[in-house]
Amino acid sequence: MIKDAIGKIALYVASSLSVMTLVIIIGFVFVKGLPGINFDFLTRQWQDKTTFVNVTLQNTEDTDLSDSYIPSIRAYVEHSEESFTIIKLKDGSSLEKAKNLKNETYEVKKKDMITKIDSTNVKDMSMEEFSEQMNSVASQGITRLKVTRPGGGIQPMLISTLYIILLSLAIAAPVGILSALYLTEYAKKGKILGVIQFAIQMLAGIPSIIYGLFGMLVFVQLLKMQYSILAGALTLSILLLPTIISTTSESLKAIPKGYRESSLGLGATKLQTNFRVVLPNALPGILVAIILSIGRIVGESAALIWTAGTIAQVPSALTGNTASAATLTTKLYQLLKEEGDVASACSIAVVIIVLIWILNLLSKWITKRFTVKE
Amino acid sequence: MMVKHLLKNTEALESINMKTTKIREKIIETVFFLCALISVISVVAIIAFVFSKGLKPFFGDHAYNFLDFITGVRWDPENNQYGVFYMIAGSVFATAGAIIIGVPIGLLTAVFIAEVAPKSLVKIIKPAIELLAGIPSVIYGAFGMGIIIPVIEKISPQPQGQSLLAVICVLTIMILPTIITLSESSLRAVPKSYREASLGLGASKMQTIFRTVIPAAKSGILSATVLGIGRAIGETMAVMMIAGNAIGGIPTSIWDKVRPLTVNISMEMGYASGTHQEMLFATGVVLFVFIMFVNITVIRITHKTVEKD
Repeated sequence: MIKDAIGKIALYVASSLSVMTLVIIIGFVFVKGLPGINFDFLTRQWQDKTTFVNVTLQNTEDTDLSDSYIPSIRAYVEHSEESFTIIKLKDGSSLEKAKNLKNETYEVKKKDMITKIDSTNVKDMSMEEFSEQMNSVASQGITRLKVTRPGGGIQPMLISTLYIILLSLAIAAPVGILSALYLTEYAKKGKILGVIQFAIQMLAGIPSIIYGLFGMLVFVQLLKMQYSILAGALTLSILLLPTIISTTSESLKAIPKGYRESSLGLGATKLQTNFRVVLPNALPGILVAIILSIGRIVGESAALIWTAGTIAQVPSALTGNTASAATLTTKLYQLLKEEGDVASACSIAVVIIVLIWILNLLSKWITKRFTVKE
Repeated sequence: MMVKHLLKNTEALESINMKTTKIREKIIETVFFLCALISVISVVAIIAFVFSKGLKPFFGDHAYNFLDFITGVRWDPENNQYGVFYMIAGSVFATAGAIIIGVPIGLLTAVFIAEVAPKSLVKIIKPAIELLAGIPSVIYGAFGMGIIIPVIEKISPQPQGQSLLAVICVLTIMILPTIITLSESSLRAVPKSYREASLGLGASKMQTIFRTVIPAAKSGILSATVLGIGRAIGETMAVMMIAGNAIGGIPTSIWDKVRPLTVNISMEMGYASGTHQEMLFATGVVLFVFIMFVNITVIRITHKTVEKD
């Protein structure tokens, strides 16, 4: 009796410990991170971007009762620490047609900050002085403004993460699925099959930092890709192979033998059977494999830091100087380790956890939806 | 005559068709086979590149003594001192600690989910644990930095919170989901008749669980444990932020700073070059050998269970 009670207590204590750690972790991340999440956080660039623009000022008599209205640019501004922030633009404001120094249109938007008018710094100006300065330069027609677009958003990381997901899957999914097809449909029991299966199990056990080392040595240095999304994606696609192969194999094995036999019996070749009968039936399993892989890519850091780098930008090439890109997770790591910024890190963590949660639900939904039928 | 000729022609055509189909099938099968070979090639390439770079500093004119490397207790690249023994100790202590705490808690939680908890509760706990399994390791690192380190700072006799204890805490949390989900599925795989027989003989529910169900699920639990070891040894990012990254000395208490193998690689990879970089690869080789042992154990355990079935 006493032993029973002890056993029961142990069960309850252990489970509540497990559940509590979960609640504490999720709670910690959300409490620290949620305040930092808003529309700007999701859509802005990471770094502040300063641009010089040429604006044709309008010498109008347009007036507004508000002090914050600057008629020559038809905009409402607000005085912040070192600049004047645009809080609202009226229709037809010349700022919308501003041109950068390459003479391309650079639309000045709400929340951009004006830091200089021609060569005059606006730092120490009051609202009246700013307004006056704006009106006084209006007569010259075209005026050069220094405009800073505030950063602090994760948009580049979101896009880079998406790029790396697409690239890695484009490489790993076909290879993985065809491998699974070979292992379940073609391979005969024997040494070769044993070696391949052993290799897959080995790959599954190798820690991601070793993948990182390998990727850096081979893709970044030997093949001269530099820190780039292609080097990152190639490294990840090796890391994903075991997940894709084993999940796909499971779903291939679950297809009844009768399907294949009837297809072959109707005169279809083995290849036709595989592509028209076997693969379509394994589709839910393949989808789950891909979702699991996406989760893995989103969460990966050690294998990416030394292959894709940690620069917060949208890559403009597959390899080379401009191809380095931080995913959400690598940026989160860099924020923590190099800047000690736990709050921003947690905001990114919230985004990641929500993503992982959605992926989990999706894979469950697919599994449920397609297994109920049988 | 004409008809015969035509028939012969079609037969010939058909046989050509058959042949081309066969050839096509063969080609495509080869393509599939090559895809499957990529895994093998990858493993071989990883081993070849990491080992060749990692073993380089121990050969040649300015060879570093391998014994000094493997038994050294100080890592000081500036003075050409590369000892990894204290890192091995750090990795082993941290992993052992995480397993000693994590496996019992994880196993009991798995028992609770599989045997005791009402279905409605399982519906909440299980997805939560699956979510926990999917959370990236850096987030555990953030949690360690934000909560565990400050707490340890308060109670530790040493000034810093980064310590072996912090690493053990975070690794324990990280391996929990692995242990719970794998143990749970192996507990569920135990046939119902086992439980019925035990209950029928007059054993209580707890006796049935601890004397019958858990022993029957032994091999599944064992492989869960070994996978947990693999995850704990290989973990890098979470540990890097909380280990303290000592430059030497075998940890003598749980409050000491440590520097697991993985952390050593990741810490200095960004700026290392020459012998220093090769030594980081050498650390990778040591890590790889450890992981290899773990992997082969896992493969053996799973093979045994498959054979039993």
